[in-house]
Amino acid sequence: MKNIISFLILFSVIINAQTIKNTPDLFSPGSIKSFADYLFCQHDYLRAIEEYKRYLGDARSDTVEFKIGEAYAKMGYYSEAAKTYSDIQSQSSIGKYARLNYLKSLFQTNDFKLYRSSFNKLNLTEDTTYYREALSLYNFSFLLSAKDLPGEDLFLKPFTGSDREKLSEFYKYKSGLPHKSPVAAAIFSAIIPGAGKFYTEDYADGVVAFIATAALSYIAYTDFRADHKFRAWLFTGLAAGFYAGNIYGSAASAQLFNVKIDFDFVQNLKSYLEKVNYFVPIINFCR
Amino acid sequence: MNRTIIILLLLISTQVFSQTDWVKWGKANYSYAVPGNNNQRDYSLSENDVGDLLLKSFADAYWVFFSDVDGDNCSFSPTCSSFLLMSVRRTNFIQGTLMFFDRFTRDMDIYKKYDHYPRVEDGHYYDPPSLYTLDTKEIKYLPPSEVVNK
Repeated sequence: MKNIISFLILFSVIINAQTIKNTPDLFSPGSIKSFADYLFCQHDYLRAIEEYKRYLGDARSDTVEFKIGEAYAKMGYYSEAAKTYSDIQSQSSIGKYARLNYLKSLFQTNDFKLYRSSFNKLNLTEDTTYYREALSLYNFSFLLSAKDLPGEDLFLKPFTGSDREKLSEFYKYKSGLPHKSPVAAAIFSAIIPGAGKFYTEDYADGVVAFIATAALSYIAYTDFRADHKFRAWLFTGLAAGFYAGNIYGSAASAQLFNVKIDFDFVQNLKSYLEKVNYFVPIINFCR
Repeated sequence: MNRTIIILLLLISTQVFSQTDWVKWGKANYSYAVPGNNNQRDYSLSENDVGDLLLKSFADAYWVFFSDVDGDNCSFSPTCSSFLLMSVRRTNFIQGTLMFFDRFTRDMDIYKKYDHYPRVEDGHYYDPPSLYTLDTKEIKYLPPSEVVNK
């Protein structure tokens, strides 16, 4: 009985043993690409790029180069992504997407001047398949840069449907950003302490500034009346400090308000761009 | 039987966990003082600039006689006294003083702090002088949701 069991174990080991013939070649181009694809879909982009580059040492594939660009872009290395996309042949099947993603990556570097000059260099025409998407980004770049906006009709030309409505909203908002004037804020606070802060919507600060200035002025006034010279001048100095500080602070508050308005607007624009994937069609490599 | 076991267990636990005469009840030494941040301060005086020397002496005196005794009670980072020093060094004496009075007004405002300033990791409201120099290029705006890593 013991012999039979030993025999069966030995037999099964021999039968099921991995032979050299059946061992997959882990370093064949196909295996490297499969592994790289796996890493890419696991969002392990840095290692995926390494493996894709190793694969490209033996073979040539525009799709793999495109994936390298995509991996760079996903990691936030937009300049590297743009360079990788630009190396892809425009005649290849993925070429038009590569051009579009090249422009998208340039856009994501936040160098809108460079984006616009690169767009112009491509000499795209209305017949180009991705012309509308590229022009959408081109026009959108005006919202994110301080440069003057083009005319509304020209600006909205590439957009249709709900995009057009949203972009029209953004355009109107950008045309008249609700900025506050630092000079006006300072003048308001000079007339009534704290009024400038109300103007810049720092209501609580305005109330505190008014109370502090008024209370210290009143104490100084009563001290003068009671002939307490030292205390009177001390509180006069403090009241003057709060008064002048509030005028200054109102101007600073208006500046800060404006920066906040710009910041919030840019955040809105960026989240919208993320939502529409920068007007670029999504290619899903990880189904 | 059960009753006996329960009583026995209660007696044992009372004996085991009861306070012995060796440990006397007494006042616990708790301190409610807010820990000061005087070990992070730079008390050194500048020898190059008379104005800075005077201002720093004033700030040092304030720290030694008030802040260090009072504990870490300023809700802002940098604290108001540090803000004054930084503002004067960054701009000039008059502008720095105006910035300080404005900061002091904001410090007295207890209502808007919660949703107006980003927080530093230690919980203080982040409010650096660079936001108030009247030079928009110096303003690095951070939303209140941000946590600042000093």
